[in-house]
Amino acid sequence: MKTIMLVKTLSLVSAVFLLGCSDLGVKPWERDLLAQDDMSIISEPLESGLNDHIYFSKEASSGGQGFGGGGCGCN
Amino acid sequence: MAVTKKSNQDFKQLLAGASCALFAGNTLAIEAQKDWTYDAATLIYVEGDSRVTAIEPVISATKAYDSETKLNIKVAGDTLTGASPNGATPSDSVQTFTGPSGNGGYTTAANEQPLDDTFKDTRVSAAVNWVAPLNRDWTYGTGGYVSSEHDYLSLGANGSLSRYFNQKNTTVSFGLALASDTISPVGGTPEGLTIMSAYSGDDEDDDDDEAEDKDDDDDDDEGGGGSESKNVVDVIFGVTQVINRKTIMQFNYGISSANGYNTDPYKILSVIDESSGSNYGGNYQIDGSNVYLYEKRPDSRVKQSIYWQTKYQLDNNDILNLSYRYMFDDWGVTSHTLDFKYRFRFEKQYFEPQVRWYKQSKADFYQRYLTSSNYETEDYASSDYRLGDLETITLGLRYGYQFEDNTEFYTRFSVYQQTNTGDQGFGKLTSQELYPETTATMLTLGYKF
Amino acid sequence: MRLQVPTKFNPAQHPDVQIDWQDGLFRVVFDAMASPCTLLLELDKARFQDAKNIAMLAAIECWRIEQKFSRYQKNNLFCQLHSKPGTWIKLDEETTRLLNFADQAWHLSDGLFDISSGILRRIWHFTDNAVPPTQSKVTALLRNIGWQNVQLDPIKGIKLPPDMELDFGGIGKEYAVDRVLQLLNNLYEDIPLLVNFGGDIACNMSRLDKQPWLVGIESPFQEESQATISLNKGALATSGDSQRFLLYKGKRYSHLLNPKSGWPIENAPRSITLAAPTCIQAGLIATLALLQGSKARSFVEQTGFTYWLYD
Repeated sequence: MKTIMLVKTLSLVSAVFLLGCSDLGVKPWERDLLAQDDMSIISEPLESGLNDHIYFSKEASSGGQGFGGGGCGCN
Repeated sequence: MAVTKKSNQDFKQLLAGASCALFAGNTLAIEAQKDWTYDAATLIYVEGDSRVTAIEPVISATKAYDSETKLNIKVAGDTLTGASPNGATPSDSVQTFTGPSGNGGYTTAANEQPLDDTFKDTRVSAAVNWVAPLNRDWTYGTGGYVSSEHDYLSLGANGSLSRYFNQKNTTVSFGLALASDTISPVGGTPEGLTIMSAYSGDDEDDDDDEAEDKDDDDDDDEGGGGSESKNVVDVIFGVTQVINRKTIMQFNYGISSANGYNTDPYKILSVIDESSGSNYGGNYQIDGSNVYLYEKRPDSRVKQSIYWQTKYQLDNNDILNLSYRYMFDDWGVTSHTLDFKYRFRFEKQYFEPQVRWYKQSKADFYQRYLTSSNYETEDYASSDYRLGDLETITLGLRYGYQFEDNTEFYTRFSVYQQTNTGDQGFGKLTSQELYPETTATMLTLGYKF
Repeated sequence: MRLQVPTKFNPAQHPDVQIDWQDGLFRVVFDAMASPCTLLLELDKARFQDAKNIAMLAAIECWRIEQKFSRYQKNNLFCQLHSKPGTWIKLDEETTRLLNFADQAWHLSDGLFDISSGILRRIWHFTDNAVPPTQSKVTALLRNIGWQNVQLDPIKGIKLPPDMELDFGGIGKEYAVDRVLQLLNNLYEDIPLLVNFGGDIACNMSRLDKQPWLVGIESPFQEESQATISLNKGALATSGDSQRFLLYKGKRYSHLLNPKSGWPIENAPRSITLAAPTCIQAGLIATLALLQGSKARSFVEQTGFTYWLYD
C-alpha cells in the first residue's frame, strides 16, 4: 500500500518536473555557477562515503543518495 | 626566416598542434587539464566510555577523460578495536558471557553495561567506477567493489543509466546494484533464539578467532564450518533538476531487498524473571545460570526510501546544502534524516558547519529484553540498540584551505550523540540504566591533489 | 528583430543584437572589437528559439572575450596582467592557453610574431597628418619589446618585466571566432554556421545539400571585382594594409611593423586572405606572410595553405 502510493507520488513528481520544465532551468550560458565542483550534488564523495559507513554501523537506515558511490561491503 | 629553416610540413604541424592545444577540450567551461586527481583522508573515530575506536584511511583517484567521462578508483582500510554492547541488560550482580563461537568468555561487573570487547578487525576494500556518455542525451555508469575481512567477503557490482532533458536541465537516472556477501566464520553460527551455553571458565581469549564485524548490521555466521551468504539488490530511481542559475535539486526513490542471513550472531537478549518474588525483574535462571538467548532476525528485509536534496548558492558565494530522507522497511523501522550544511567560502579557504538530525522508530521484533513468559514463543527477537527507538544528532565543522598549486588540505571535526529510548523494565530492572547515551568524536584529515 | 542582452553580459554597452531570417538563413549581427560581427545559421524559420539562443550565446561569449582582454577596461584580466610587473601573476586556464599559443607562435616565426610589440602604436600613428617617429624613439621603445624577456610557468603564471605591455589585438578577434564557433558547434551539432567577425571567418560544416558557403573577398583595388571563395569547413583570415598606412614625403609606411626593428615592413603585398582549419591559424599565417615583405608569396606557398594574394 505504502509502496504503491510512493511509486505514484514519484511518477507524479517526475512527470511534473519533465512537463513543467520549460519554466525551470537555465540557458547554456547561465551554467557558470552550477559548473563549479562545490555545486555538484555530491561535492565531497570521500566525506559522504565515510559518513555513510559510520551511520550504517550505528543506525538502521542506509542509502538514499547517489549512484555507484563504491560499496563498503557493509550492506 | 622560419619556413626556410624548417620544412613547411613541420611548420604546419607545429602550428596545428599549437592551435589544437589552444582549443583542447570541447566543454562549455574550460577545465583544468590534469591527468589524475586524488583525494586522500583518514578518519579517526572514538566513542566515549571505552567503546569502539576506529581508524579508516581512504584514497580515491579520478581520471577525467573529459567533463563527462571519468574513471574512479577508491581504496579504503579500517581497523576497529574496542567494546560494543552485546544486547544483554545490566544487572545488580556480575554477569559472565560466553565469547563468540563458544570460545573464551568475558565478564561484566554489577550495574555495568554488558560490552563485548573481544572483537578487533581489519578490513580492506576497493571500488572501481566508470561513467561515460553514450550519446548527447544518455550517459551510463558501471562499477564494482570488493571488501574483505578475515571472515567476511563482500562483492558488488552496479550499473546506472541517465537521460538528459530540457537542455540538460533535467536528468532522470536509474541505478541497479547487486551485492553478494560470503561469511566464513571460525567456529560456527549459533542457532537463533537458543540459549547461550554457560561459560565454563576458560580464560583464554583467542582474539584471532573472534571477530565481530562492527560495520555489518546484517552479519552472517554458520553452524559448524562452511559458509553462509546474503544477497542484496538495490534499485534507485532519481530526478535531478536545475531550478535556476543558483539552485539544483535531486529527488530519489530507492528500494533495497536483502535475502539471507540478516542476524548478528554475536548479539544476545537477556531473559528477565517475571515471577513474583525476590527475583522479580532480575535475570531469569535455569540451574543457577542466567539465561541469555541468541538473537534472530527475519531472512528477508525490504527497505524503501525517498530522498530530496537542494543545493543553493547565495549571492555572496556561500553554498547551502539541505537534504531529507525518509526510510521505511518491512521490519517496521521508519526513519527521518535531516542534513544541513552551510559553506562559508572565501578566496582560498572555507568553513562549513554541519548539522544532522536522525530519528528512527524500532523494528517490530526489537525488544530490550525477553521475559520468562515469552522467551520460548517468539519467532524473531533482537535487542541490538541499532534496531530500537533512537534519535541522534551530529554537529560538525569542516575547514579547507586551497594552496597556490590548487591542492587542498581539509579537516573535519564532528561530534555524534545517540539517545536510545524504550521500555524501562519492571521490578529490579528499573534501577538499571537500559539506554545509555553514546557520544562519538570524529576527526578527519584530508588532502586533495 | 532586436534581442536585448542583460547588461551584465554587455558591459561595453553595445547596441542590441539583431536577428533576421531570409532565404533559409538566420542572420545575426552585433558589434564587438570595433567590428561588425555576423553569424549566419542555416536553419528552418520555425526554429526561431534555437536561433535566438545561438545569437545570444555568440554575442555574450564574444563580449566576454572582448571585455577580458581589452586594453580599455578597468579591473579586467588585461589590467591584472600588468598590475605587478616583475612579479608572478597567476593566470586562469583560458589565458594560460592563449599565452602558450602566443609563445609557440613567437617561436615558430622566429620572433616576428610578438605580442609585446603592441606598444609601438604609441609612436606610430597612421592618420592623415602624422609623421614617422625618429630612430631614437624607436630604439628607446624597442627596449620594452621582446617576448624572450617574458617568463611563463604552468603553475606560477606569467612574469612581465617592467614597462612591457602585452597586446591581444593580434589574436583576440581570431580567437573569438574560433571559440564562438566551437561553443555553438558543441551545443548545436547539426546546424551549419558561419561566424564572421570583421572579416575573420570560420564555419563548422557545409550548408545543407552539401553547398559551400560563398564568401566574397574585396579586392584592395577598387577596379577589380571581388573574388568569391567557397568555404566548406574551416576558417579564413585577411591581413593587409590597404586601409591603414602613412604617407610621408612620398614614402608609404605600412601599419605592419616588424617587432624586431620597430619599423614597417616594406614591399609587402597589399592584402592576403588565407584559409586554414582555424581562424587563429589563418590569422597568424596571413600576418606572418605580410611580415616577409617581398617574400610573402614564396613564404605562404611553402606553408601549403590556400591563399589569395593581392600585390
